[in-house]
Amino acid sequence: MHVLTGSYALDALDAQERTEFERHLQHCPSCQAEVRGLRETAARLAIARSARPPAQMEQRVLAATYRTRQLPPLAGQRLRRDLRQTRLARLARLFAGWLAVGQPRLDSSQPRRSDRRSDRRSDRRSDRRSDRGNGWSNSWLRSPRLVGAVAAASVAAAVGLGITQVATQHQLDSAHATSAAIAKVLDAPDARIETTSSTVGGAVTVVVSALQREAVVTASGMPSLSSSRVYQVWVMSSSGARSVGLLSSTDRIGQLLASGVQSGDRIGITVEPSGGTSRPTTTPVATVPLTT
Amino acid sequence: MAQVARGDHQAFEGVYGQLAGPVYGVVRQVLRDPAQSEEVAQEVLLEVWRSASRFDPARGSGVAWVLTMAHRRAVDRVRSENAGSRREQKVASEAVTEYDDVADTVETSLEGQRARRCLDSLTDLQGESIKLAYYGGYSYPEVAQLLGVALGTVKTRIRDGLIRMRDCMGVMA
Repeated sequence: MHVLTGSYALDALDAQERTEFERHLQHCPSCQAEVRGLRETAARLAIARSARPPAQMEQRVLAATYRTRQLPPLAGQRLRRDLRQTRLARLARLFAGWLAVGQPRLDSSQPRRSDRRSDRRSDRRSDRRSDRGNGWSNSWLRSPRLVGAVAAASVAAAVGLGITQVATQHQLDSAHATSAAIAKVLDAPDARIETTSSTVGGAVTVVVSALQREAVVTASGMPSLSSSRVYQVWVMSSSGARSVGLLSSTDRIGQLLASGVQSGDRIGITVEPSGGTSRPTTTPVATVPLTT
Repeated sequence: MAQVARGDHQAFEGVYGQLAGPVYGVVRQVLRDPAQSEEVAQEVLLEVWRSASRFDPARGSGVAWVLTMAHRRAVDRVRSENAGSRREQKVASEAVTEYDDVADTVETSLEGQRARRCLDSLTDLQGESIKLAYYGGYSYPEVAQLLGVALGTVKTRIRDGLIRMRDCMGVMA
């Protein structure tokens, strides 16, 4: 049965075999994981055949959405609209906006804390403006200290925008939905973002709050490792390194919360034997200094 | 996708902008007929709008969700139309060479180019099995018949080839 994962992912099973395989799939977690990866792979085969749709198609489809009622979520499925939890996702889009504009209007005045609340209320609108790349009204981004980080991140984001942006968006959304603690850091009034590219590809983004002494580490687009290796995240300080945890290899985006961090610490990511180690044994593929 | 599920038309426009090309491309690859392809691609994209709330990020990326839906619809269309016909008798070489014929395939995305390179890196049998199954919309028994190899061989080659592609492209799963 297991050998059918490939044919299933390519829709190459007939109706009966498909049904049988789907039944098997429900009780076979390893098949599920494999199918998932092979489906992502098959999607790349489709992307390789991308073609320009007929000009009038967009108008027809968009018009049809206004006439089409949407299905409600299935019971038990979570579909929360929590702005705090999509902050990083919005940032990703802001980077896209930055790229589109080239020279976004960035106010270099100090961040105006009092604006934060009203900004949050108008989040939806400001989101849209930044999607189009012509408005940078979010005071959170006005902090001059963020400018460098955002600029660096926008360079990192320049690689693979397009299709991957959709994946990143929803993966961030889902990652955020998993942890209120993470959301708390992302929403901290003093949250700062640092991004660096990893030496093996992909990028590491750290959002740190000095008030909460916590940092959220997000890795995206890092290459997959063989099953005997994992990415391990560390808080590195003058007194040594302590493990934050392992980045899940089931997502292209991995996210971890580091507690008890302080200014001067660095977040490091190393490649370690599967299961992780008690101290780093290889040179970090990425380090991010925490300047809170 | 969560925004689309909440009825955000603008978010849907973004999804359309990014996925209409791959959706239309893969559907036309399988169906060939432009008018029919347009019809199916429209159905798929509207289905994305309609059932966005059913998208489960735990089960894969939004891109894969949409493109899986597109490919499956195209294949289902082919199979229902060809039920009873002798499609499988088409000569393999004919079927394979046709894949590069489709005009104005846009090759701008880096990911698409990478996928092509990775596909080219497979063994002949792996590559042809995958192309026939995915781009041709053939079932694996049909692929076995077209290539004149045993059923078990095709199943294995398809899986091995896809795994190799997955690793080649750095898809994490």
